[in-house]
Amino acid sequence: MIALVRYTLATTIHGQRYLAPVLLFFAGVGISAGSDSGPLPGVYALNAGILLVCVTWVTMAVISVEDPTHRAITVVAARGPVKVLAAAIVVSALLAVGLTIIGLGLPLAMHPRPVTAADLPAGALAHLLCAAFGLAFGLVCSRLVIRRQGYALLAALFLVTAALLTTGSPPNTLFKRMANTSNAADILPTAAALLPLGLAVLALAAALTHIVSVRRD
Amino acid sequence: MLSVEAVSKRYGGGNWVLREVDLTVEPGAVVAVVGGNGSGKSTLLRLMVGVSRPTAGAINGRPDVVGYVPERFPPNERLSAVAYLGHLGRIRGMTTIEAADRAEELLERLDLQGGFDAQVRTLSKGNAQKVALAQALLVPPGLLVLDEPWSGLDSDAHGVLATIIAEVAAAGGAVVFTDHRESVTRANATRIHRIHDGRIAEATPPGRAVVEVALTRSAEDTEDPGWDEVDGVLTAVTHQGQLFVRVDRDHSDALLTIALRHGWSVDSVTPEKAAP
Repeated sequence: MIALVRYTLATTIHGQRYLAPVLLFFAGVGISAGSDSGPLPGVYALNAGILLVCVTWVTMAVISVEDPTHRAITVVAARGPVKVLAAAIVVSALLAVGLTIIGLGLPLAMHPRPVTAADLPAGALAHLLCAAFGLAFGLVCSRLVIRRQGYALLAALFLVTAALLTTGSPPNTLFKRMANTSNAADILPTAAALLPLGLAVLALAAALTHIVSVRRD
Repeated sequence: MLSVEAVSKRYGGGNWVLREVDLTVEPGAVVAVVGGNGSGKSTLLRLMVGVSRPTAGAINGRPDVVGYVPERFPPNERLSAVAYLGHLGRIRGMTTIEAADRAEELLERLDLQGGFDAQVRTLSKGNAQKVALAQALLVPPGLLVLDEPWSGLDSDAHGVLATIIAEVAAAGGAVVFTDHRESVTRANATRIHRIHDGRIAEATPPGRAVVEVALTRSAEDTEDPGWDEVDGVLTAVTHQGQLFVRVDRDHSDALLTIALRHGWSVDSVTPEKAAP
């Protein structure tokens, strides 16, 4: 499994398709972390929203960097498609964790502001929730499920917009509470309660992607 | 023993690509699957290696180690040949050092041109195909599946590939390959299956007589005439100081003349048993 993760990481880095979403994230966080952006929970909510978009894109990039014929060779070498998909998810998750650290750290580095003990955990939970949703959307919009890139892009845009803007969706619920509070301790229970939901959505998306990709082949 | 039992395949709601295909490949067999473009050859191979699943029927007895060489190695691989093979070796459970040594050994044997450290996408089609071949052989396969492996390879590599196929079979591995050229399949396969319109025909023996000639160097000035280039030679392998050349019966007399003229001594000439 470690060998597969290393291989997927190597092809991802050499493929350079991950660069565009990563740069987009830097740009977005750079703007949101500027001087007049208000209390930290609100900044983190915005960063988490940007993370959702970028992780969706990163996940699609990680999976599509391997051409179907290439993937066939890897699947034969790994004796099955499950591990190959798992490696792609691990690599996407590693990138998402890297972006999370940047999303949490950059606002503090760019502009000194008051930090409470609950700010960082609440921000981290919001980022991880969005990363889980982003991974899930990236998987179901990847080439393994939607062959045509145009449709995949439309589906991804729809899912991301729906998750961010629909009242009642987990990211939307959390964002609203973060934007309307200056005390992050208030939102910690909500954020902690929503994260398992995000992970469940991710697990469901992974299972769906596996089933569809196996049926396709 | 790999057995394909009443396998049918179609993609989505499309036409049937394969219909009720039965095929068994026992260890040591070299099976050729021939057929026109779009006859379902590649689909059958994909099913055999487990990349694709049958719509109906079953495939049983697939060995643990499977080597798969697709028809065209994707041209977008940015890793170098050595790095790519290193990764694939590790995925197959080798250590980094084992994988690197084995990769180098295979690439040298296949005579990869263009640099072991060059990105695979910068290599020519034939050289990329050699990398594809090497990845399938990193661990000696119990089943080696090759989709049109000769396309794009130069004539030197043709001989090496024929030898490799013979070696895998001799070590108890099963080999399945496709090609559309009669001469190639007849020279390398122990059994030929014709596939047409998604249905597979009973096996036909390749219908050739082969003799194995064992040679030794008789003197210091013995020359190597380039055995793989000689007419009718299927494989030429050195084993414990002896050279074993498998040659078409029609060309064996000419081969003996060449051997004697170049100072080789003939140890034995054995007719190979016809394939079952």
